[in-house]
Amino acid sequence: MSSETGEVSINAVSLRYRDGGLPLRPAHKPRLTVILLTMSNSWQDRRQALLGPGPCAAPALKPLFFDPPRAFAWRRKLLGHVGGADGEAGVAPRGHTAMAGVGGGNDFQWCFSQVKGAIDEDVAEADIISTVEFNYSGELLATGDKGGRVVIFQREQESKNRPHSRGEYNVYSTFQSHEPEFDYLKSLEIEEKINKIRWLPQQNAAHFLLSTNDKTIKLWKISERDKRAEGYNLKDEDGRLRDPFRITSLRVPVLMPMDLMVEASPRRIFANAHTYHINSISVNSDHETYLSADDLRINLWHLEITDRSFSILFCGEFFFPLDRAPSDIVDIKPANMEELTEVITAAECHPHQCNVFVYSSSKGTIRLCDMRAAALCDRHTKFFEEPEDPSSRSFFSEIISSISDVKFSHSGRYMMTRDYLSVKVWDLNMENRPVETYQVHEYLRSKLCSLYENDCIFDKFECCWNGSDGAIMTGSYNNFFRMFDRNSRRDITLEASRESSKPRAMLKPRKVCTGGKRKKDEISVDSLDFNKKILHTAWHPKENVIAVAATNNLYIFQDKIN
Amino acid sequence: MEYKVEAHRIMSISLGKIYNSRVQRGGIKLHKNLLVSLVLRSARQVYLSDYYGGVCVRSPHAGGVEWGEGDQMDSDGSRSTPDEHGGESALVSDDSVRIPEVSVNGPAAAVEGQDIEDLAPGSDYNCQQSPQEDVGSVKTEGSGSAETGGPGSGSEHCVSRSENSQQGSAEVTATCCTRKRGAERSASAGSPVKRPKATAVPALPPVGGEGEGPEDMDTGNVSSLITIFGSSFSGLLSKEGAQPATDSEDSDSGKICCEQMLPNLNPWSTAIVAF
Repeated sequence: MSSETGEVSINAVSLRYRDGGLPLRPAHKPRLTVILLTMSNSWQDRRQALLGPGPCAAPALKPLFFDPPRAFAWRRKLLGHVGGADGEAGVAPRGHTAMAGVGGGNDFQWCFSQVKGAIDEDVAEADIISTVEFNYSGELLATGDKGGRVVIFQREQESKNRPHSRGEYNVYSTFQSHEPEFDYLKSLEIEEKINKIRWLPQQNAAHFLLSTNDKTIKLWKISERDKRAEGYNLKDEDGRLRDPFRITSLRVPVLMPMDLMVEASPRRIFANAHTYHINSISVNSDHETYLSADDLRINLWHLEITDRSFSILFCGEFFFPLDRAPSDIVDIKPANMEELTEVITAAECHPHQCNVFVYSSSKGTIRLCDMRAAALCDRHTKFFEEPEDPSSRSFFSEIISSISDVKFSHSGRYMMTRDYLSVKVWDLNMENRPVETYQVHEYLRSKLCSLYENDCIFDKFECCWNGSDGAIMTGSYNNFFRMFDRNSRRDITLEASRESSKPRAMLKPRKVCTGGKRKKDEISVDSLDFNKKILHTAWHPKENVIAVAATNNLYIFQDKIN
Repeated sequence: MEYKVEAHRIMSISLGKIYNSRVQRGGIKLHKNLLVSLVLRSARQVYLSDYYGGVCVRSPHAGGVEWGEGDQMDSDGSRSTPDEHGGESALVSDDSVRIPEVSVNGPAAAVEGQDIEDLAPGSDYNCQQSPQEDVGSVKTEGSGSAETGGPGSGSEHCVSRSENSQQGSAEVTATCCTRKRGAERSASAGSPVKRPKATAVPALPPVGGEGEGPEDMDTGNVSSLITIFGSSFSGLLSKEGAQPATDSEDSDSGKICCEQMLPNLNPWSTAIVAF
């Protein structure tokens, strides 16, 4: 891994595509052609245009996943392999339809399950976790850190030996996803920090995820290898070539089981599409396209195609080169900077409608766009904004109203936005105000000035739904995280700390004292540690298991049903 | 009075952040700098509203200068902040006055010169006497939208003036104040004269059309701030690097910024004029 020369080297087992796809050398970065189709507004036409150019016939679209699923699953089961087979949830389903509340009830309590990461006081910057994401089945949990690494945990199958303990998450795969790069043209270093990880729905035995840093998105294939071929004719067991004259007989290589090896290989690299820092990626419900958003632009990609994407939203103007075809746009001039008033802060595809996406802005507004309406979605279909309360104006009103995360509910009916002090749930059918607002840490409102000084006011907290959309969770400072039950309107503050890290220890609700008299067990606002912040949390899609990233540690909590 | 100090402190902090963003790993983050520039604008509005409240009461000469601006402002009445104090609306909206000035006069440097020229006497007075009038309920944000406030040029020379006045009120570097007054007196008073600006921060990039609003200038500021900070503040960089970047140091660094900047006025001004 050499960052001086700007080369990218991936610590993965296989470095080349078996199908002879794109090489990994960044010197051959694919030239990006950004196409803005103005001639055709048809959604199908645009998808077709993405898939294949006109004159030169594109090769027949290779399916992204081509392993025969059934044979593979059969072989895996034969070998008694643990872990989820293709498509099947690795965890035995429990009766989890009744998604319990957030705690405090008689039948539900959050307990510590595991913690991953070092305990040192001195945390290396590269170890700070920057994103956490469960996959669709919840079997895999991926984390990305500031050092560009991705660590994937897999849940163990529940064994007969310990029927009461849920499956634990153990390291499944670790790989270096992004390396620091240097943009020579702008003399800027591109951070290797993983901004977002998004899983693709599993279609065969391998797992696919998208990971992105500030500029480049990569599609990674994580596959298991538990067999190797032995008995080659031309080389012996060490790999050395045998002398052809010594070979007197032929044999057929046979597949022998080996220790399970999980290899991660980059399948696609989507680069050179963003001038500003990528803040979001979101896989579309058609499982073929995904969108990536930076401050001023949203691109729509096809998972197969890396050398071009659609800019479906762009704040600026295109520059057409004079000596090439207009479709060959190679440079984008960003918006007239004098007119810039807001930037895109997050974007997400609708979970069920593949033509709908939303994006949030730094002004606290959310726009929902329908890609069928026009090629360039700069005219929104719906505009969500809550009128500002003029009595709470301050220097920092604009900063704290900037939305840091937007998430659709699993049902697709609601969406949730997180700004600095609150979480708001919006009904997609009502644009003028949210249906629910939850204050996360309102006691910080009087401290905004000092939070501005120490840059904490710019922290981008994320939020997440639980599987049934009945509860939402978000992080706060002092390693606190908050959960809100939408049905019972109860909320709870919990802490991710080493002190409460005994196995199956119940988490005690915490309280921040805002008034004068501090009760026992309460914490005053001034003694909160603002360096311990929980920005990234994730909730298992089907069960009451949550993953909370506290700086360099990943805490996993589960419910304990009495 | 506290509002002014607070506003000045926030402005210094904001400038420090914008500067630090340039040397940060990963490049300049547009979102954060946009937010910081919005805070800078709000603080400047507060500071200016405070400032003119003090000046208007005290000095007829400065008042005369400003009423001169007021004439121009009347023609631009639509731009005045609706929720500013009635008594000061004429003065405060001198920001908006500068918007047509910016566009009419073309090069931002010239405009900056005019601004400084117009305000120079005011700043002198402010240096000498600390404004006693407390601007009542300070609207920290103004209307917060496009029609309020003024171009980022206001923010820049506001900062330098604020730094000067801060020094004046702190009586730490009275010599600096004197030097600035001297520099300004050297230019002919009264009629606006195209003069190289003498502020801590760079001029705006030339504005295309009429000022779109304060946000325009502020983000234009960001890019120009970054370029000019990078090129002309190498001395400042070494000085600031030596200091621990703690919160308490922010206002100090603001002062140091000004102290170091003043000797470099001349190379600055030539650079800006050329720009």
